[in-house]
Amino acid sequence: MKFKDYYEILGVPRTATPDEVKAAYRRLARKYHPDVSKEPNAEARFKELGEAHEVLKDPEKRALYDQMGSQWKAGQDFKPSPGWDAGFEFRGGETGDFDPNDFFEAFFGRRGSGGGSRRPNIHAQGEDHHAKVMIDLEDAFRGAQRSISLRMPSYDAQGRMVSRERTLDVNIPKGIRAGQHLRLAGQGGPGVGKGAPGDLYLEVGFNSHPVFRIDDRDIYVDLKLAPWEAALGAKVEAPTPEGPIQLTIPPGSSAGRQMRLKGRGIPGQPPGDLYVVLSIALPPADTDSAREAYQAMARAFRFNPREGKA
Amino acid sequence: MTGKERDLGSGLVVEEEIHLTLVELCQASRVPEQEIRAWVVEGVLDPEGATPEEWRFVGASLRRARTALRLSRDLEVNLAGIALALDLLDEITLLKSRLASTRSSSDPPSTILVE
Repeated sequence: MKFKDYYEILGVPRTATPDEVKAAYRRLARKYHPDVSKEPNAEARFKELGEAHEVLKDPEKRALYDQMGSQWKAGQDFKPSPGWDAGFEFRGGETGDFDPNDFFEAFFGRRGSGGGSRRPNIHAQGEDHHAKVMIDLEDAFRGAQRSISLRMPSYDAQGRMVSRERTLDVNIPKGIRAGQHLRLAGQGGPGVGKGAPGDLYLEVGFNSHPVFRIDDRDIYVDLKLAPWEAALGAKVEAPTPEGPIQLTIPPGSSAGRQMRLKGRGIPGQPPGDLYVVLSIALPPADTDSAREAYQAMARAFRFNPREGKA
Repeated sequence: MTGKERDLGSGLVVEEEIHLTLVELCQASRVPEQEIRAWVVEGVLDPEGATPEEWRFVGASLRRARTALRLSRDLEVNLAGIALALDLLDEITLLKSRLASTRSSSDPPSTILVE
């Protein structure tokens, strides 16, 4: 287990006042909040911030962390010595939205990691759980099956909370789009007493694709043309998620022009469209004959692309 | 104790196949009912139906409610701020998708229909 320096994560000195801790957390939380952030590892950073804040905002947890933590450096192997937490007693309370990890649990135990408060009635429906599953664009065309691992709290025979790992095979229906959710009835948290189990909501995300860009139901692909193909028209091969097709490029096509292939986007009612965005690639003038060809073009066209533009 | 289980699940697509009642939305989003009611008044969520008992939320409300919950809990954004942030996030999404579709050209794209 690696030691985590919560002060370093929040960028505050060990002498920071509660107000300084709060201000640092707020500033970084806005920067890395997954809903608003443009940073690449926003989600991981945000969880780390939540964990650091969870500890440093609470005087008891902070005191315990300080007592243990001052001689450790971030990344060092960390093993708490037995009896280190004598004299500390925590009030109940929920942890935030981060997943309590080994390091956090070594300090503060599993309390609170079970999510949510128990309802007072004996029979209650289990809680609905949320998870995310990533698929490839191709999966949305064919439908797919994904195995996902879920760590879920449940109760053992003695009524103690235990962490249980489940593998769930999920059918991803054809036509699913990024950001949509699947509801899996009864696959959420266990019910209490005779209560039914909760549901599992799976948010579907797409892995980024090397060729295609996805916008809701529509798909975009760039297609490079040689200047003469664009000018004279051509039949060229264009990639689609269902395999390459022959595409007729009309004469006089310009860069940026989009060709819409109706109904070739993500399947559904209605299906999305596939947009082929044309660009023109210039062949390099790296041989005598290539340079000659360009010079012949220059003589033939007397073309000034800056003319007539504002 | 760590047990391993294998299950097979086929789900419904929330955004297309499901309408949620107030109680279902609270359970699914883990947002207290009072807060959902306040969000409806503020226009963050816009259910069909006149009274809270008759409210039916479209499936996309789940995602919206979850985002609203995270903004209020993680960043302590207040009610009016949530409504504003969600509107701005919607606009950013729209602009990003326009940008993605026209990214290789500064001219307005001319689109031709192939089939």
